[in-house]
Amino acid sequence: MKEKDVKIDCPEQQMILYVEKENGQYGPVQTGSYISANYLDDFFYKRKNLEESLHSKVLNLEISPIQYFMVLEDLTLSELSSRANIGKWKVKRHLKHRNFHRITADHMKRYARVFNVKEEDIRSLGSLINETKK
Amino acid sequence: MRIENFQHKMAAHCESGTITSLLNHAGFEITEPLVFGISSGIFFGYFHKMKSFAFPTFIVRNRPGQMRINSEKRMGVKFNTFTFKNQDKAQQKLDELLGQGIPSACQVDFFYLDYVPSWEKVHINVHFMVVIGKEGDNYLISDSYFPEPVGLPSASLINGRFAGGSMSPKGFLFYPAGIPPYIDFESAIRKGIKKACFNMLKIPLPFLGVKGIRMFAKKIVEWPKFARDTEHLSHEIMKINILLEDQGTGGAGFRFMYATFLQQAAEMIHKPALKELSQELMIIGDGWREISLFAARIGKNRDLGPEKLKILSEMISGRAKVEEKFFTQLNKAMI
Repeated sequence: MKEKDVKIDCPEQQMILYVEKENGQYGPVQTGSYISANYLDDFFYKRKNLEESLHSKVLNLEISPIQYFMVLEDLTLSELSSRANIGKWKVKRHLKHRNFHRITADHMKRYARVFNVKEEDIRSLGSLINETKK
Repeated sequence: MRIENFQHKMAAHCESGTITSLLNHAGFEITEPLVFGISSGIFFGYFHKMKSFAFPTFIVRNRPGQMRINSEKRMGVKFNTFTFKNQDKAQQKLDELLGQGIPSACQVDFFYLDYVPSWEKVHINVHFMVVIGKEGDNYLISDSYFPEPVGLPSASLINGRFAGGSMSPKGFLFYPAGIPPYIDFESAIRKGIKKACFNMLKIPLPFLGVKGIRMFAKKIVEWPKFARDTEHLSHEIMKINILLEDQGTGGAGFRFMYATFLQQAAEMIHKPALKELSQELMIIGDGWREISLFAARIGKNRDLGPEKLKILSEMISGRAKVEEKFFTQLNKAMI
């Protein structure tokens, strides 16, 4: 790849690419990210749709807030279980809306740490389940 | 407190960039492509179903941590390494090293780094960065993916260092402890290339090396059945671009950086054949870049029907063919 072909204007995400310079030598050049420069709007559009779809699933009592964050953060059951240090079978139960209120304070704390959100964020999403039930 | 004489440099890849900047700081001038090439960084692996991945994926580099291990073995440089069970002890050790003016590299989960933009955040436990200072409760980080050093709150650093999960960092940190007075670059380069060729051609597993590229080509047409919906499939297909170009590869899934290594190696060990092969690899890399641009385009247009995936599959299959020939030639050139 030639140096002249890689200059992309994207100050939000800079990166190093290795290219062929004018003197024929290969070396690094700092440029912007192609995908961030051209497709970031598409990423946010898909992200928003995913959030809305998962939110409505929580409202419709199809999933629990734990699954909401798990899918949003692209984690698998086994990865979440290992990161939160909670047995797989327990995590599996916590993914179902009907078991959400049974999650202990300690487990909730661990989930919040893995998802890097406040416990309150998970609980407030969980309160939607109770409202729906009413 | 900041280690004043540490020079922050951007690099294509976090692990090779971290090793390079630490060695440079220790007084050993070496380039990132040389570290990458000598440590046999180039690779390919395809994972169709794995418990830790939510979707089929692929890798284009060797196992995380292997670049440091191979650099030690082949160049004779020594790194002191530590892992911890206790988070307080891990931070204490880091502070102690900073107090002694020693910059050290930490392994972290990329997701917990507050300075990373939201769209780049993914749970991946194998990011490396250098800690070069501390002010109050904030650490100063030299992250090779960013143009300038960045600040990171202590709590986020702890979260990143003790993320758990597959390839859990366990507070891992390392720093160079010794550089040998003489390094036999000819032997190091030779061993690095031979191992890279072995990895690409001879590992007897169907998902690794050139066989892995073939498996990727064959299996990508099955991706729609793993996707929740079209937007999910589009996201995963566009991730091909990210994995090949954006996620710290130097472009074309490390092929451009490896071509640079071959060019530098040709001059260092006086082997013109490597220079010719470097030009060939640059062209192979252009083919990978075409794949990533094509994937981004069809993903954005949601044009993900079987015929487009078949085209993508054929493009990938083409890379398997040329890489098999390339690595066979490279292997012969080193005999």
